[in-house]
Amino acid sequence: MPRNEQLALPGFDDWQAAYDKQLPDGKTVRNRSGIEVQPMYTPADWDGNQYEDKLGYPGTAPFTRGIYPTMHRGRTWSQRQLIGLGIPKQYNERLHRMLKAGTSAISMIPCNSIYRGLDADQCDPLILGTCGTIINTVDDMETCLDGIPIDEISTALNDPLPFTMLAQVLTVAERRQIPWTKISGTANQSDYISHFVANHMFYRLALPGSRRVLLDHIEFAREKVPNWNPMSVVGQHMQQAGATPAEAMAFTLSTAIQNTEDCLSRGMDLEDVLTRFTFFFDISVSFFEEVAKFRAGRRIWARIVRDRFGISSEKAQRFKFHGQTSGVDLTRQQPLNNIARVTAQAIAGIFGGLQSLHTDSFDEVLSTPTEDAARIAIATQNILREEAHLTDVIDPLGGSYYIERLTDQMEEEIVALMEKIDDLGGMYKAVESGWVQGKIGASAMAFQDRITHGDETIVGVNAYQVDSEVELPVKPLDRPAPEDIEAFIENLAKYKRNRDQDAVDRALDDLGDIANDNKRNTFEGVVNASRAGATQSETIAVLRAELGFGQPLVVA
Amino acid sequence: MTKSELSEAGRRLIERLYAGNPAALSRAITEVENETAHAASLLAAVQKSTGKAITIGITGPPGAGKSTLVNALIGEYRAQDKTVAVIAVDPSSPLSGGAILGDRIRMAEHSHDTGVFVRSFASRGHLGGLSRTAGRVIDLMDAAGWDIILIETVGAGQSEVEVADIAAVKIVVSAPGLGDDIQAIKAGILEIADILVVNKCDQPLADQTKRSLKAMLKLKRQGSQDIPVLGTVATTSEGLPELVGEITIADEKQRLGTGLVDRKPRLRRNLAEALGQLAKQRLRQNTSPEIDALVAALESGETDYMAAAETLLDGGYLGAVADTAARARITGS
Amino acid sequence: MSEVTNLVRPAKVLVTKIGLDGHDRGSRIVAAALRDAGLEVVYTAPWQEIPTVAKLALEEDVDVIGVSSLATDHLLVPKLMKELHKAGLDYVKVIVGGIVPDNEEQDLLDAGVARVFHPGADMADIVGTVQSLAGEAQNDAARQL
Repeated sequence: MPRNEQLALPGFDDWQAAYDKQLPDGKTVRNRSGIEVQPMYTPADWDGNQYEDKLGYPGTAPFTRGIYPTMHRGRTWSQRQLIGLGIPKQYNERLHRMLKAGTSAISMIPCNSIYRGLDADQCDPLILGTCGTIINTVDDMETCLDGIPIDEISTALNDPLPFTMLAQVLTVAERRQIPWTKISGTANQSDYISHFVANHMFYRLALPGSRRVLLDHIEFAREKVPNWNPMSVVGQHMQQAGATPAEAMAFTLSTAIQNTEDCLSRGMDLEDVLTRFTFFFDISVSFFEEVAKFRAGRRIWARIVRDRFGISSEKAQRFKFHGQTSGVDLTRQQPLNNIARVTAQAIAGIFGGLQSLHTDSFDEVLSTPTEDAARIAIATQNILREEAHLTDVIDPLGGSYYIERLTDQMEEEIVALMEKIDDLGGMYKAVESGWVQGKIGASAMAFQDRITHGDETIVGVNAYQVDSEVELPVKPLDRPAPEDIEAFIENLAKYKRNRDQDAVDRALDDLGDIANDNKRNTFEGVVNASRAGATQSETIAVLRAELGFGQPLVVA
Repeated sequence: MTKSELSEAGRRLIERLYAGNPAALSRAITEVENETAHAASLLAAVQKSTGKAITIGITGPPGAGKSTLVNALIGEYRAQDKTVAVIAVDPSSPLSGGAILGDRIRMAEHSHDTGVFVRSFASRGHLGGLSRTAGRVIDLMDAAGWDIILIETVGAGQSEVEVADIAAVKIVVSAPGLGDDIQAIKAGILEIADILVVNKCDQPLADQTKRSLKAMLKLKRQGSQDIPVLGTVATTSEGLPELVGEITIADEKQRLGTGLVDRKPRLRRNLAEALGQLAKQRLRQNTSPEIDALVAALESGETDYMAAAETLLDGGYLGAVADTAARARITGS
Repeated sequence: MSEVTNLVRPAKVLVTKIGLDGHDRGSRIVAAALRDAGLEVVYTAPWQEIPTVAKLALEEDVDVIGVSSLATDHLLVPKLMKELHKAGLDYVKVIVGGIVPDNEEQDLLDAGVARVFHPGADMADIVGTVQSLAGEAQNDAARQL
């Protein structure tokens, strides 16, 4: 939307003249999404008469100012630190410590071997448990959750489809006689499209199979685990892979549309399903741009749910999101500076109105985060909330001429990209053809070029370099002890010897049958396999054999 | 006639190549690809051992699924215990000359298999969908004993007709809904194809694409009813056994009584490449006033490129030692 | 074969990822920068197994292998070095880029890795290093033959 000259105030031209005189070669400034940023904004840039239409009030459509009436005053964001290290026992000990330190929700990151669908006995022990916890069986899950009240605390699982970890959690609940209705939390990594496009790490089944297994999981959860959020649409991977903030938001919303349409074609009740959709975003250090990204995203999603899908329930229109501070912005040079970066990112996320937050540890760029550094990351959140009083006022940047104008511009940019994806036949088709991957790759290159040419200043990298690094106050990370890993592998062998092999075989055979029968639910079969004692690898292998092995489309 | 002499190192290399050593083949390919001083002698040494392999060229517009089809074909042939060598060509950047060679990504499932040898090439500015040396690389792979040689072009969608000269069996791949790209196929490739494949034939419009290809064939070629038009789904190997069957038939048609393939088209192409290369080299080295005169004639418009080139060739002007008679003809003295 | 002192052909580089991690933004950016500097880059999907990388390096006759590691897959690089040795590819130079803790960098260098690049490394430095290593590799390869 152009500047509204009718709203221009008389002094503006004088200011402009003074500005141009003092800064004759003022260069054009653009944000990461390519939007030109002016040196100053005035009422001419944003018409306050649009308030009711464009902003409204927190908790009411279009939700620009937040999805709940009380926002962080009523309920602060969940501090959801993603953790996972070593073997289940170590994870459990660390979890207890973190809960004491103020973490209010559990997250669980499994070892990279699990993302690949491999058990501990199928991997090089050297890298086992170095990036997450090795969880192969329901017994492992039970150890992870020992002493944790899973009926009272919400759990976020980094559990890509076919959701073997959730199946294990549900089996643990059965063992503890906790009804599934009391299990709450989020399937953080259910967005196979973002995995296919941008985070190949999590991509496990071929596209068509992925599509079906996700829908099975959503259907199952809506029926039997009502407090579970089965769909987290992830923009984080795409932005980490290089998408601009506007692109990441557009691709995420288009993915959400695709999933909604898929749920509709399954005959699901959209109003019910959409109340359980959540989103997951990267928060870069491009401060105002991120705030505007989240505000625009909330507004667009509410409109899509209302107008495109005809759902008038405001509950279904709410754009609930988890934010993670961007690891790509962190630097190896002068690593303590990352604490400042994470702080700026976190403020952007809080002002952007997030529902839960993960703050990166400053040493993520050096190694897997150490416990000491993770503690600083949590303290950062506590300081922002308690000492800086960031939660006193809802949407505190709302009404800023700049932020409102930028929110409008981001919205235009995002909507234009989404229309392009609609033209390509929707997100599924757009990623199948590689179009989205191409866009992300080009943006990643463009940003790298800006750094290389000094158009983008990174402190300590292409400017403000120092000769000597500050000695780090935290100890370097210990790798898991080889004897622990060895013991884990031995334990796994023992588990396999002691289980009822017939029951496992039957459950896995049945899972294979389910995969070939579109009328049955694959997640039902995954839960049965977990209950019978199958490992995650055995379970995934059956589905891969029947539904195809996922190879992401790499656009070089 | 003489030929380039093999050096001692070259002789050892060829020995290892015949023994099935993949490192030797790889190094020999490097020599040939880069047209080093040893390339000619290496090629000459292996000539007598070529003609056994089934050579299959795969071309078609981008997005038709060529790499995936190559991957599926590898699987079929490996199931028959045939060894497979692959030549995968990607375009070089016209600006930097560099290239990203990413075709292997779609052949990942065969990456452990010692019965599969994949070599990626940058086109290095050579038009026509191949690298300039691809024809000669085939000879090396053939001599090294690989049963099947698959050549995948860069998929520029046009001017890929030259795959015809180097592969015995030419497959043109298309896919439903490629629209205008079908037009590109029409441009000439249809005339040389032995087999047409409509890949991704589980998608809508597949039958329509098949029908329009058949219609185009009918317009373009005599005996078009003999050219099979097959549907495949390379990702699931649907239609692959039929494709392999047609490849066998097409290959056998070209076998001579000896059981060896008629390699004359490939040799002719390689000869043409060599001739062009040598002529360029000679012309560049030739500093005689007669050539200057010819260039002057071009400048003044008295002659044109084709006529001048004809003068050079017909007049024996690019011989190592140009004869005086030819010299006289050009200078008119 | 004849002695060469410099690049006798365009440098050919394998850019790959071994182990379990799938984050490939870094490897893609480096691959593109190398291409833009005129190098020929064989690019693979992540999760390559070590014997596969050696086989690939051999078939493609590359001069340099660049291994990108954002998680902890660099711990496997010493095994890769052994595998290359077994395949007779000692002349191939290996560089590692990504998140490598300081205390583990030396282990990689001791295993024969030519250079480790960290996040934020200067692209021109990476390209220049690869080019000069490729020259060395071509030299060494020629001697080996």
